[in-house]
Amino acid sequence: MNFSKLAPLTLVSSALMAVTATGVATMPTAALAQGAARDTQAEAYVDSSARHVLGVLNNRSIDTASRRQAFHNLVGELIDWPRLTHFVLGKYGRTATPDQYQRFAGIYRTYNEGIYQRRIDDYKGLRAVVTGSVVRRPGDVIVRTMLSGAPGQQPTELSWRVLGGGNSWKVVDVQVKGVWLAITQQQDFVSTIDNGGGRIDTLTNQLAQDNQHKH
Amino acid sequence: MVMIALVMALSVPTQPYVPDMGVQLAMAAPDPVGAPAIPAGAQIAPAAAQPAVAADPAPAPVPPVTPEGAAPPVAVVPAPAENAPLQRDPWEKTNRTIFAGNEAVDHAVLGPIAHVYVAIIPRFLRDRISGILSNLDEPLVALNDLLQGHLDRFGQATARFITNSTVGLGGMFDVAAAHHLPRRDADFGQTLGRWGLKPGPYVMLPLLGPSNLRDSVGRVVDFAADPPGWIFGGFLSTFGASRVSANTVKARVAADPAIKAMRDATDPYATARSAYAQARSATVRDTTGQAETLPDFGAP
Repeated sequence: MNFSKLAPLTLVSSALMAVTATGVATMPTAALAQGAARDTQAEAYVDSSARHVLGVLNNRSIDTASRRQAFHNLVGELIDWPRLTHFVLGKYGRTATPDQYQRFAGIYRTYNEGIYQRRIDDYKGLRAVVTGSVVRRPGDVIVRTMLSGAPGQQPTELSWRVLGGGNSWKVVDVQVKGVWLAITQQQDFVSTIDNGGGRIDTLTNQLAQDNQHKH
Repeated sequence: MVMIALVMALSVPTQPYVPDMGVQLAMAAPDPVGAPAIPAGAQIAPAAAQPAVAADPAPAPVPPVTPEGAAPPVAVVPAPAENAPLQRDPWEKTNRTIFAGNEAVDHAVLGPIAHVYVAIIPRFLRDRISGILSNLDEPLVALNDLLQGHLDRFGQATARFITNSTVGLGGMFDVAAAHHLPRRDADFGQTLGRWGLKPGPYVMLPLLGPSNLRDSVGRVVDFAADPPGWIFGGFLSTFGASRVSANTVKARVAADPAIKAMRDATDPYATARSAYAQARSATVRDTTGQAETLPDFGAP
């Protein structure tokens, strides 16, 4: 890409940004983290995590049950389940009783793992390569990877949202082509609960049913 | 080819649901035909973050443009907001009815056709057909790139079209991609977003699937302005009808993982709406260079 051609454009737009930034009404309160720093530690974490996950899913030398167990253990470490579980309930996260919440949490985890496990054959030969990252704010980083190796398909960009710091990170969301998994799930679940008269158990029961049918 | 002939009889421009969701939800293999296999005029996403209730800050008059290849800017949000903004859906009741109708048609007709197509036509052939169809969409992509003010992209799309049409044998082989000219999509709904138009209410189109007010208008404009349509005839001609039918099957095949994942969800309608809105938002941000605003994962 010939960046020199674009330089004048970005100069102009930077100047305009500076001018319009004073107009609070037109700019969102969020500051644009343009040219935001990368976080190489977060990148290293995603790199090794992706390797482990794909390694487990691609491992044909162990039987399906062992592979499921290995995946379950690995994913338990990689994902920040408490935060994710709370997040996908949206506004209902705060109104759930501890019992309702606990019940949901267990069933939700099984449901989520099931989504990936069911498509195990799709991961054969997949490779993930880290291409960069953006620090959204300290401790909140989006790492971009390129997923390739699927037969007859173009490489796809996959983004990982990780929270943490230093060498300690956890995954909370993944994005493909603009669509975030946890955000989509949140809107799905909240809608289900809304239509179930605001009862979280409506959702939990439905997920439990799905788990039974699919396993 | 038998399948194409069968589908020709339908001659209905059909747009399956968000193709990418399945990849995203299922961590399945990447999207079958590389980029979202959406025929010209397809809708992608509304502009960034349309919250249902809170006033959304209007996009800056001249959105800053991110240099090609740079990381898209991500907003640093000072105050936590734990809920992702919702796509406005004041016509939800009607939309859900239409959605149910679309699902019925898909189960009965389009889905089976797509599955038979995959079963009968070998992948190599399907990829060649797909290439020809995608190549025919390039002029419209170039046109929209131009209207969006992206001269570099306009140049790339034009170069892609010329290269793939000639060296790539009528589009069968994506030779341009091997020369650092990857395939990109652009549509008039995205162009309208670039010009500052918000997506408006969610609209579930009969047979065509998820859309929004802005993108529906965009779709009509794309259909009318499509260059191959002027040259070879609109969709009432044999060329046009076969192309629409073939694109329909192609898009449905590409969308299969997404549709499966959507049907796995607890509320498929809400899932499709969410994924569609996010995907379209990303598409518009791709052309404006605006930051993505994300919700926070608050302490549990």
